[in-house]
Amino acid sequence: MKALGALLITFLSGGILLGQGGPRPDDLGASPQPIGEAGVAWYTTWETALDEAKRSNRPIFFMAAAATCSGISGVF
Amino acid sequence: MFSQKEFIEASRAFVCVRLESYESEEHQKMVRSFLNGRFENTAFCLLAPDGETRLSGTGRSPAQGLRQGRGNRGRGAGHEGVVEAMEKVSGNYRPKGAYEGAVLQDFHSFRQGLNVASGDQRLLLYVVAPEDDREKLRTSLRPLMSDGEIVGKFHADFAENEPDAKWREVVKGERGKTGFFVIKADTFGQTGNVMEELPLESDLEELKSALLRANTSFARTEKRKIYREHVAEGRRERVYFENGVPYGEDRDADGVIDHRGGRGARPGGGERRGPSSGRRGPPRGERRPGQPPQRPRVRPGGTE
Repeated sequence: MKALGALLITFLSGGILLGQGGPRPDDLGASPQPIGEAGVAWYTTWETALDEAKRSNRPIFFMAAAATCSGISGVF
Repeated sequence: MFSQKEFIEASRAFVCVRLESYESEEHQKMVRSFLNGRFENTAFCLLAPDGETRLSGTGRSPAQGLRQGRGNRGRGAGHEGVVEAMEKVSGNYRPKGAYEGAVLQDFHSFRQGLNVASGDQRLLLYVVAPEDDREKLRTSLRPLMSDGEIVGKFHADFAENEPDAKWREVVKGERGKTGFFVIKADTFGQTGNVMEELPLESDLEELKSALLRANTSFARTEKRKIYREHVAEGRRERVYFENGVPYGEDRDADGVIDHRGGRGARPGGGERRGPSSGRRGPPRGERRPGQPPQRPRVRPGGTE
């Protein structure tokens, strides 16, 4: 029964095992909010981010992520 | 988490930067610096405005990095814990300069911009201008891209001479040689369509109207991608995005991308989204240095 539950959870989570402590897709920079709504205002080069941090004295929220999965593009 | 209202609000007190892990050696080095020499496809850290001083622990995600951070032990760093920790950090800094004067976002290349816009399902404002005009435009566009109705809804990129010379080959619907192009990336972020095009002389109100008009149309017609379905379709259609460094991860931090059996052995099949807590060391069946060869273990019904 436990195995069946784990299998179901794995399926529902898009094939990624839960409970292992790893990041979920929505923790990796994906933004499943309604399309067209405002999300995180990302900088996408280190140089521009650092310029802005120094200009505004705001701390930096740094993420690295891949907009690919196994070379398949268009997805975080 | 990134789509939660509380998180987005908290993020405005930070300069949020998300680098493409596989875009360059430079990015790979940064990832390694946050993961004790390992290279995995995600990394996280909060930093001071100097870009060097660490304000949190590090990890593959905010939940991991903030769980390790000083003063956050035992909190669990769930979504609420992440927002709470972010607010605690940003509260120590007094912002200076108007938010409307924020430096403009940019990409190292149009193809990265298109792919990221596709991944985020946002429209891309692409600015194609003569080299001499670019710096002026980067400044004059600041108030618009920081506007409360615009910020966080679009990505923005400036065409550069070298990496972007062939951008027209993958985009349909453009007319002018220069201008503001509002582009909708295709599902796999490798081609795009121009939804709005304005001359560089347009004022900010005109451009704002065009952006919002395109965004309304985009929101009405675009469907939210489902990760596993997108990847399955990509596999069927043999989609492949050539990146700056090979796909894969170096989980044992030996400076070499790990090669595994199965998908990982193929180009582009190396990265995984799972945690780093799995098995480490050489792939199964390979010997560690100094270890004698082992015979396969025999089990009833066959070998293991």
